[in-house]
Amino acid sequence: MFPFRSADDAVSRRDILRRLAGVAFGVSVHSHFGDIARAASAASSRDVSVILLQMRGAMSHLDTFDPKPGREEQGSTKAIKTKTPGVLFSEHVPQLAAISDRLAIVRAMTTETGAHEQATYLMRTSYPTINSIVHPSMGSWILQAKGTQAKELPGFVLVGNGSEHPGAGFLDASYTPVPVADPERGLENTTQPAYLSEAQFRRRLSLADRIDTAFKKAHKGPQIAAYDQMYQDATKLLGGSGLEAFDISKESEKTLAQYGDSTFGKGCLLARRLVEAGVRCVEVELGGWDMHRDIFADMGAKAAELDTGMSQLLADLSARGMLEKTLVVLATEFGRTPTVNQNAGRDHHPAVFSCVLAGAGIKGGAVLGASDERGFRPDDDAVTVEEFNTTIAHAAGLPYTKEFSAPNGRPFKIGGGGKPIAKILES
Amino acid sequence: MRNRSASCRFGRCLVLGCVAVVVMVCFAGRADAQRPGQKAGQKKPPKSNLPAAVIARPTKPAMKVAPLAGTSRADVDKAAAAIDRLLEAHWKEHDVATSPRLNDQQFLRRVFLDLAGRIPSLVEAQLFLDPATRDRAALVDALLQSPDYVSHFYNYWADILRLVDRPQPQLVFEPYLFYVKEAIRTNKPYDEWVFEMLSADGVLWENPAVGFQLRDAGMPLPYVDNTVRVLLGTQIGCAQCHDHPFDDWTQHQFYELAAFTSGTKNRGGGPKEIGKSPQKLIQEARKELERPTAFLRYINANTTRVTYKDTPLRLPHDYQYDDDSPKAVVTPKVLWGDVPTSARDADLRQQFAAWVVSHDNRQFARTIANRMWKKVMGRGLVEPVDDFQSGNPAAIPELLEHLTDEMQRLNFDLREFVRILVATEAYQRRAVAEDPASGVPYRFPAPTLRRMTAEQLWDSIVTLVAYNAWAVQRPTTAEVATLASVDFQTATFATAYKQFEKFNEEFGPGRHMRSLQKTVGYKGQLLVRASELPSPLPLGHFLRQFGQSDRESIEGGRTVATVPQILTMFNGPITHSMLERGSVIYDNVLAAIPRGPDQVTTVIFVSLLSRPPSLSERKLAREEIATAATPAAGYGNLIWALLNTREFIFIQ
Repeated sequence: MFPFRSADDAVSRRDILRRLAGVAFGVSVHSHFGDIARAASAASSRDVSVILLQMRGAMSHLDTFDPKPGREEQGSTKAIKTKTPGVLFSEHVPQLAAISDRLAIVRAMTTETGAHEQATYLMRTSYPTINSIVHPSMGSWILQAKGTQAKELPGFVLVGNGSEHPGAGFLDASYTPVPVADPERGLENTTQPAYLSEAQFRRRLSLADRIDTAFKKAHKGPQIAAYDQMYQDATKLLGGSGLEAFDISKESEKTLAQYGDSTFGKGCLLARRLVEAGVRCVEVELGGWDMHRDIFADMGAKAAELDTGMSQLLADLSARGMLEKTLVVLATEFGRTPTVNQNAGRDHHPAVFSCVLAGAGIKGGAVLGASDERGFRPDDDAVTVEEFNTTIAHAAGLPYTKEFSAPNGRPFKIGGGGKPIAKILES
Repeated sequence: MRNRSASCRFGRCLVLGCVAVVVMVCFAGRADAQRPGQKAGQKKPPKSNLPAAVIARPTKPAMKVAPLAGTSRADVDKAAAAIDRLLEAHWKEHDVATSPRLNDQQFLRRVFLDLAGRIPSLVEAQLFLDPATRDRAALVDALLQSPDYVSHFYNYWADILRLVDRPQPQLVFEPYLFYVKEAIRTNKPYDEWVFEMLSADGVLWENPAVGFQLRDAGMPLPYVDNTVRVLLGTQIGCAQCHDHPFDDWTQHQFYELAAFTSGTKNRGGGPKEIGKSPQKLIQEARKELERPTAFLRYINANTTRVTYKDTPLRLPHDYQYDDDSPKAVVTPKVLWGDVPTSARDADLRQQFAAWVVSHDNRQFARTIANRMWKKVMGRGLVEPVDDFQSGNPAAIPELLEHLTDEMQRLNFDLREFVRILVATEAYQRRAVAEDPASGVPYRFPAPTLRRMTAEQLWDSIVTLVAYNAWAVQRPTTAEVATLASVDFQTATFATAYKQFEKFNEEFGPGRHMRSLQKTVGYKGQLLVRASELPSPLPLGHFLRQFGQSDRESIEGGRTVATVPQILTMFNGPITHSMLERGSVIYDNVLAAIPRGPDQVTTVIFVSLLSRPPSLSERKLAREEIATAATPAAGYGNLIWALLNTREFIFIQ
């Protein structure tokens, strides 16, 4: 009745297809893989931090970094010139267009799934969702490989994220990101009551621990261990001097204004503060890109948040001399259809989309790959999510050729075993 | 007590508003006031900082819940025993170590959390733990007929169905959310409920079941994907764009299925149904109002009507496979089996709905049986519960088939099904911390050890604070209809605008929150059941912090540990609310103080952990109380400590 195949069939067929896919990757355009792998060890000595800007809901490539002027598909979004000769952006990102010489644009991104959750998971972890384990997100890998720079601060912070972030996945709970819901409010509930001395606080904690002994003896497991870890981390954070890094009100009026009056802009500012204070990786999320309706009416305001926040972040990092050791990544889970639908929106389009890299290890002004004349398929140099993430891993100096074992015995690589994109990496 | 009160007052002078001190001051102050010889009411106790509506004793139940089916207890036990036999055979075959049976305190706590979504109150715990009234089955039956059951299962479905107040600006979803709550309250058979939602027509407040179809309004293909995923546990989403190389489904099959519902429309009913006046109102609004958007949305809500007419569906223009040509019209075809004979003359959407819920479509029963099993046991026999496929077989196939039979035998009475599951021996065993990453298959020796969901944690803490956790409830369909519905035949711009303003006052998101804050707000938190709060909540809210879904992705709720959660438990407003004068636990501790520190310790342990302290814990508590600045400060520390144990947030 229900169309089950036999389990054995499925596994073997799947295996064969996966192996075939692996062979196909092997003949991709990036031929000087060996050189890059050697160069990675040089990068690993650099003290790189990473800021990931995650556009949730799937950012339209045609209306941002890959316009198709003159085509019907373009709708009412106009194209503008950028600082890079011959490269056009959409009118909605003028400030980024003005610093395009600092950006490497990947216009031939391609992915397999048009479902938000799965595609975002793939973008964050470099692996498709499977039943038995959760894979670590890039920030946790970075933290695991590079360690923290500031002991009193968490190594990985998420700004404005929903609840379904893969976090540390199967890595140790100590690589779990610390989420900050609202960058303006920073980390909340950190003011201990004035009457509560350090000693009294410890006393309460120790009381809780002693009462918990019987329960912990009866119940052991990764979930409980994770909570034990979080209690330790929270206690350490409260006792340390790092909390100020979470407070953007310490910035000047001028700086606050420059980043724009949007949650995302403030998130970018918080990211800069945190990285400056020694946080290894910050991921800032900007949602609201899932524009199935009225895309041309809504695009301006949404893209402006991105344009102001990201361009200011790059300018600020540069002015502080931090850009050469900070990698800034703009990613989204997939693109949107060139064809405008009956509701004046664009639907999901995994075949091609755009992502952007800047800062540490990245060749500014580079454009990698292109979509076809309609913005429908990648023309050449198609870049998979694994290749994109391995490029991040390379620029951040992570050991991406090394094989790690997950608790279930499966082998994993940082970035998913792709090859870094040589054309946009500084040699 | 007497000589200690002086230092308490001293404490008050020093630091007002701090957790332990509030307790300390309040407890000591009230204990002082109740000294023997002093008449009660001689001196009015200071006002509580908690909202009056929350600490007022409720006079009637929050709602009337449908009574249980008349199944005898013997029959429930018989059905449970059949499940236990299958499990035991499986354990024997695979040499599975069994888990010890839960004691009564542990059972009490688990069954409250699993069925009522919260820990038991002190009184409820005392009642059950009294040997004279101790009866597991009676407790289960009482919980299944309580408003708490409705609240808890509403939260469960809200996570699956992505229940939000405004999925799109013109979709006023309160009536649909209320409809889901009502379906649980009246225990509507699941197959009927689903059929209603899949085939409903009309405007939201006239026929709120249309909400299911409107959740993906304007996205007919994702609607099919989501519907099949939620109701049939099958993921065909990839096939929307291409044949998936690793999966069963082709793009052609996806379109064949989508052809059943592609004639669903949701915008405008056409001038015949709603008259011509919306256009006139819209023109006037554009002329009269500087910012007409909100009003136009309000009018839009009135023209959002689900209608259906069979309409051919064509393949995409870039269809790339050899089995058909681009833009070809597809013939509707279900994924497996057939449309039931009885529905073959109905329109295509009805045919689809009839096929989904048909008894012949075992996958429908199997999916919900597996979901309910997971709800009770912590893990599905098939995981994830929405990814049935050949490469992902059930952990115990014969058990899943048996449960599927049971689901059909019970005619999709989900509550009766749950009643049987919690009567099994397997359910009443101590939870096992399962590690999916270990690679060892889970053979269900007991429920898995789970952290409370965000809602369970919230509602448990609210239980420690509020006498009335239902001071505010979600608006009913009728309440929304009165203000939302515009009669285009009679409305003028002036009357419509006036009504819009009233609607906005009542249901506009910002204003709604402000009025709720006045009634049940405490330091920015609304002290009511999680099910009655606006949805989605802002990212920084306690519930979101502890993993409540944004209700955009299906089953987006999480129970992962983060640092801000701990900071909130240490020092958040909800911890403070628990320790305010007038809270439930405050009053209970206060009442126990005359009976001495050991009694107070017992009250605190039973209130938070649903069990009395062990001998060694009693010793610890004595030490704490004796060495703290005051006994009251010691009680405050003890409450704080219990709240911050793993035992509190995990369900054993």
